Amino acid sequence: MFNQGHMKMKTIVSVYLAVVLAGLSFIGCQRREEASAKSPTVALVVKTVNHPYFIDMQQGAEAAAKRLGIHLIVQGAEREVDVEKQMQIVENLIQKKVDAICLAPSGSRELVPVVVKANRANIPVIILDTRIDSAALREAGGKVGTFIGSDNFEGGKVAGTYILEKLKGNGNVAILEGIPGHETGDARRKGFHSVVDQAPGIKIVASQTANWERDQGFNVFQNMLQSHPDVQALFACNDLMALGAIEAVAAAGKTGKILVVGFDAVKDGRDAIRQGTMAASVAQHPDEMGKLGVENACRIICGEPVPDYVPVKIELITKQNVE
Amino acid sequence: MTPKNFLVQHGRQLGTLCGLFGLVVIFWILTPHFLTVSNLLNIAQQTSINAIIAVGMTFVIITAGIDLSVGSIVAFSGVVMGSALQSGTPLLLAILLGLGVGLLCGLVNGVLISWGRLPPFISTLGMMSVARGAALLYTGGRPVSGFSSSFRWLSTGEVAHIPSPVVIMVVIYGIAHFVLRRTKLGRYTYAMGGNEEAAILSGVSVKVYKAGVYGLCGMFSGLAAIILTARLNSAQPIAGMMYELDAIAATVIGGTSLMGGEGTVLGTLIGALIMGVLRNGLNILGVSSFVQQIVIGSVIVVAVLADMALKRQRK
Repeated sequence: MFNQGHMKMKTIVSVYLAVVLAGLSFIGCQRREEASAKSPTVALVVKTVNHPYFIDMQQGAEAAAKRLGIHLIVQGAEREVDVEKQMQIVENLIQKKVDAICLAPSGSRELVPVVVKANRANIPVIILDTRIDSAALREAGGKVGTFIGSDNFEGGKVAGTYILEKLKGNGNVAILEGIPGHETGDARRKGFHSVVDQAPGIKIVASQTANWERDQGFNVFQNMLQSHPDVQALFACNDLMALGAIEAVAAAGKTGKILVVGFDAVKDGRDAIRQGTMAASVAQHPDEMGKLGVENACRIICGEPVPDYVPVKIELITKQNVE
Repeated sequence: MTPKNFLVQHGRQLGTLCGLFGLVVIFWILTPHFLTVSNLLNIAQQTSINAIIAVGMTFVIITAGIDLSVGSIVAFSGVVMGSALQSGTPLLLAILLGLGVGLLCGLVNGVLISWGRLPPFISTLGMMSVARGAALLYTGGRPVSGFSSSFRWLSTGEVAHIPSPVVIMVVIYGIAHFVLRRTKLGRYTYAMGGNEEAAILSGVSVKVYKAGVYGLCGMFSGLAAIILTARLNSAQPIAGMMYELDAIAATVIGGTSLMGGEGTVLGTLIGALIMGVLRNGLNILGVSSFVQQIVIGSVIVVAVLADMALKRQRK
């Protein structure tokens, strides 16, 4: 009996030591960083760290931080839709007492409570990419340093205008939507509708979600082509779905015959535009947002005034300007 | 009880507890911002939602089942309750509605498993999709947001400086521990998972109790939905995605066996706290989110490996 307990203790202790050692080796390198962090620390909290769009944003921010001598921490949820995880990250960074937080909120109303928490801790918050709902923020008594971004609704309008022009006001159009209930996609789709719905010759023959994913973009658009072989143009609410869709177009032997317009102008999207398989993509310049975010955070930390809104240009990337 | 017997009975939980303390010590050494009262309360609060879902998951897994639908039930209960609140339903009634929707979804799972003879994996996989779709349909895909401060107290309030979700979590764990250890339902839960045939032969109405366990699991998801909605001041139809995996992870880190028949809710609480501490500490250290996923995955595997090693020695 005693022997058994003894053996067990040994196992417990060895597992315990293994975990401690693994933990230390994993994070040990962070300690030096922490200790030498005399320069101001700015946190960039993105929606998710594994989307090309936010990787561009991160790179823009990193370049600016290096230039300004700022210690930058980049964090984001594993999934873009996981608002609560993003909230946790912001709360944890408040505990860390960072000097400023640049936040690309996953929900325009849902993140209001943590903005208020940051306000209480006297940590300035700069909003990137997606606006915080101003009414909800006012009601909660919160404030943000500045908003830096372009508008998804505007971007949808840009795409709509382009397709309208190319089809000369007549034709069948399909839409690939983002995850249902996700604001970014909703805004893009609504912006697109706001333009094409005005044109009597344009018919939206299909509008379905492909959940932001490349593989689903392929499947869903393939199904659409089955039921609507006469589709002339497709608006995909992000490039990944558009990239999936152009494969479906190729599989149907219709490359070049269907106008595919994406959103975000990620690297693969630009390549496809260069090759002519994709017609255009709306570019929002996330790298610029990241850079301006860090620069404005720096200004706020130094006590300099910043404007309420820093616009970032939206442009349509086509074969003409892809380089 | 002699100390020796105590060690034999609670060895597994003590092991997990040592793991938790190990993590706390590591983070305490690495950063001054970790071991503060406000951060510990912060961790407890962040853990509460996963911990409450994991209570139900623990019951289900002890019966040798699984529930993949908890995240979707969180979303569906949340939006039904949120819409009710916005159309002026009294607070208490709306809360009961949220719990009721969770209970109902869980019972549907249970009935399909008990009487439809579906494997729990399939039944709850179906519910995962159905409840998510129902949540989206119910709201037209839009979040329902903006609630009264009395409702939001459930997340933002404090009882003696302890955040209310933490108080709710502690109460729930107290009750669940009692139910599992001291009541018929608890004993039958272990019996169904340990040896279902034997349970049936000894006259336990396994079908009824099993359906009840899934109903309970759904109801805990409903409770988590209430806290989540209060926390975000918004009920989102896309909320709770992948929460099932976090709840399963907390449960198995806490020593509940996926083969059924053994496990404790206190172990699950420690498991949930380990996940909360890891996420919090790694955030504070500014560790890249990619590395965080590797660390969390490794901890799950190490915990279960240790569990298996312990069990081999006990035999």
